[in-house]
Amino acid sequence: MSSSTVLRELQRDFEAKSNDLSKLQKDISKNHQVRKKYTIQLGENELVLKELDILNEDANVYKLIGPVLVKQDLAEANANVRKRIEYISAELKRLDGNLQDLEEKQNSKKEAIFKLQERIQSLQAGKAKA
Amino acid sequence: MGESAKKGAGTVTSLAEMFPAEDAQKAVKRVQEKLAEIQNELHRVRGFISDNSNLINLVQKLPEQLHHNIIVPFGKAAFFPGRLIHTNEIMVLLGEGYYAERTSKQTVEILKRRGKVLESQVESLKAIMRDLKAETSFFDSTASEAAEGLLEITEDYVEENSTERESESGPPKEDAPNFSEAEKAKVSVEDEEYARIMSKLDELEKEELEAECGNETVEENEQVAVDDEEYARLMSRLDELEKEELEAEDEKIKDDFNKLPDQKSLDTNLRHSEGYQSRELLEQMKDKKSATEEFLSKCDPQKDLTNQLNCMGLAVQSVPEDEKSHGKSLLHNVIKSSPPEKALMLPEVKENVQPAPLSRSSS
Repeated sequence: MSSSTVLRELQRDFEAKSNDLSKLQKDISKNHQVRKKYTIQLGENELVLKELDILNEDANVYKLIGPVLVKQDLAEANANVRKRIEYISAELKRLDGNLQDLEEKQNSKKEAIFKLQERIQSLQAGKAKA
Repeated sequence: MGESAKKGAGTVTSLAEMFPAEDAQKAVKRVQEKLAEIQNELHRVRGFISDNSNLINLVQKLPEQLHHNIIVPFGKAAFFPGRLIHTNEIMVLLGEGYYAERTSKQTVEILKRRGKVLESQVESLKAIMRDLKAETSFFDSTASEAAEGLLEITEDYVEENSTERESESGPPKEDAPNFSEAEKAKVSVEDEEYARIMSKLDELEKEELEAECGNETVEENEQVAVDDEEYARLMSRLDELEKEELEAEDEKIKDDFNKLPDQKSLDTNLRHSEGYQSRELLEQMKDKKSATEEFLSKCDPQKDLTNQLNCMGLAVQSVPEDEKSHGKSLLHNVIKSSPPEKALMLPEVKENVQPAPLSRSSS
């Protein structure tokens, strides 16, 4: 019966779309987590910058690289921290854009799935009547 | 009185339809989970703050001596005695793998600044918790109200002068379909409505008292008319509720009419008297005649035959009990009363029963 094959096709389509949707949702949650991490790092870096500004010129600054504490120049440390802050903010912006895209895709997928569901239901109702 | 057919438009929706009980409870759970998370966070941050303050104390004590003799931990399970030197030189972690060499005083300053940041975090967390708690309480109350079957009744307020009184008696007819609703719903609605109406009536009493003091009777009537728009509405609500009670009670009265145990009649009188307490007070404060006249002209007489009779009967009874406004005290006085008063009550009960069928047959 052509109606039952159509129904099966619709249902396969429905499953495929719902898989896509779940993938999208996982992507969105990953995005959220990475964003959180970056936000925390950004906060920390800003704190460091504040402290470095308070330091005297001749104070010793060290950077922990692996197991080694390396002496750093204050000016160098300042510059490094500022660059890091810029990098993190850029990353955050990029992630925000990503998130927007993903959310839009998710919404459109949801609508498509909904329509599919309606079609399937109407077909099933029609079949039951016949 | 023929215009009483004009109904005020209104809608009656069950609160359970607007906020299904299960959903409200789920929302409550969700909010409570969030609240628990935030509380954990708060706990952590408070831990940090206490660590910070301990560290500040330690760092302040260090430079007191040039060397400190200490027992140094070595590996997982060993210690050896050692010395802490350079007691004023402290390597402070600024963050992101950056260390700075500072004196103990400067370290203390850094730590204090960190402490302030932590405090502000605690404050923001507390604010979030407060909001969440407000949400939970709101959801809780809606869930419980929906479970009780509370009804939301909205009525249009018609801004007319004379026909308004008639239109206000329209709503009781809307309640007729609700008679089939659960008893529980009615009871809860009535009780809450009673409390609300009582408080509103108290306010109205005060207004009218003030009005009475300052003005002539003409002005008083006008002002009373203005106040009585609300008053009439509230009274009509009271009437509806009491009519329901009355009709429920009249069944009992009819059955026991032959036996007429005093207790039952006392009970019914008590219920009516409770409802009419505020009216009695009002009547005593206002001019009695004008009050009853206005009252009659406003309300549906067929419905209020019973009320009227009760008012008059009870007013006679309660004049001596001017001060005591509580229904129970009235009951006590009634019980202790001499036979002539009881005789007065019995005819009241009879009057109750007779007009009730009258009203029912004609309604």
